[in-house]
Amino acid sequence: MENINQDFENILPAEEKLKKKAPPRKIIFFGGLLLLFFLILILIAIFLNLRQRRSFSGTSPTPTPTPTPTLAEEITNPSFYATDSGILKIEEELKKIEEELDSTDLKQASLSPPLLDWQVKF
Amino acid sequence: MFKKLALIILLNFLLPISVLAQDFNFDRAFSDYLYNFDLYRQAYQEYISAKEAYLRYKTLTSKTNAMEKTLKMVQTRDEALRTYLIALKMKLGETEGISPAEKNVFNLKLDNEVNWYFTHKEELSSAGSLEDLVELANKAEERYQQETEILIYQTLHKILVGKENNLAEKINTQIAVLKEKLKEIKERGDKNVSLAERWLLETENRLLRFEEKILASQEKMERMEKGSWEDKGQIYKESQLNLQEAHQYLKEANRYLKEIIREVKTADGKY
Repeated sequence: MENINQDFENILPAEEKLKKKAPPRKIIFFGGLLLLFFLILILIAIFLNLRQRRSFSGTSPTPTPTPTPTLAEEITNPSFYATDSGILKIEEELKKIEEELDSTDLKQASLSPPLLDWQVKF
Repeated sequence: MFKKLALIILLNFLLPISVLAQDFNFDRAFSDYLYNFDLYRQAYQEYISAKEAYLRYKTLTSKTNAMEKTLKMVQTRDEALRTYLIALKMKLGETEGISPAEKNVFNLKLDNEVNWYFTHKEELSSAGSLEDLVELANKAEERYQQETEILIYQTLHKILVGKENNLAEKINTQIAVLKEKLKEIKERGDKNVSLAERWLLETENRLLRFEEKILASQEKMERMEKGSWEDKGQIYKESQLNLQEAHQYLKEANRYLKEIIREVKTADGKY
């Protein structure tokens, strides 16, 4: 004969049973929240990547120039061409170009379009 | 005798006009624009006050006042933009490195815009009510967003590219002169120029990179026409960055040339 032996003292009441089942809900909720957070992060990363790609689309990547240090002008062992008029003329022209390069305004801030209010509403 | 007299009278009339035409340059056009922009700012403040008063009191007097101030503001806005476009046109005309054909194309487009804002300014006076005036005023917004803004950025870009091309041309001229000189020295045989020749190749390479950056900048500007939804100011800024990089390559090329000169001026084996 089968021995039906129930430990009634250890059986939890119905309310407590429900309370014990509650943690999985919390886990699901917080887990879902975490998943959503990661999803948003991934979406932001994809969006930023696409934006970067779009801004550089159509152009081949070219290296960016690096500024080079200026040379010392002094020549201790001059050659026969140190006083050559042709060479001196080129040197003079290069100095002029250098000045022009340094003074070129590439931002043209003063020529920026005027800030005008286009919204006329009443 | 009569012919001579007629010629003198004609010259007396024409000479001041030609002098005036010669005097009108970018500086003059730009100060015209600054003056008109200042008038716009004043008119704008008055418009804001009149608008607030009308919206608060809703009286006929405040409505009439609001209409007057709105008309003044929109007219000065048209004038500020019109004079800005003229200043831009003058700047383009004075910039070296842009072909006459390109200048002509831009001049025609800019003139077209200048005329549009002039006509619009005149049309505004015909508005019979505040509602009509608002409707007419908003036409300028449409025009600005669809035509003028793109043209402004294209012109600004063209000016910058012109400046850069002009500088590149000057460097190329010096490269050609230096090449001839090196050839001459090589033929004489009194100085070893192999190092200078190698460096010259490096210099030419910098100019190739310069052209690549200019091209990249132009490609970015082309997006402005295709995608009207994109921020035009942002596209211009991006293309400006490419031009700054191109400018850096020109600086490098010029420095390399200076180094070559230094090498030529230095005796063999003692550099």
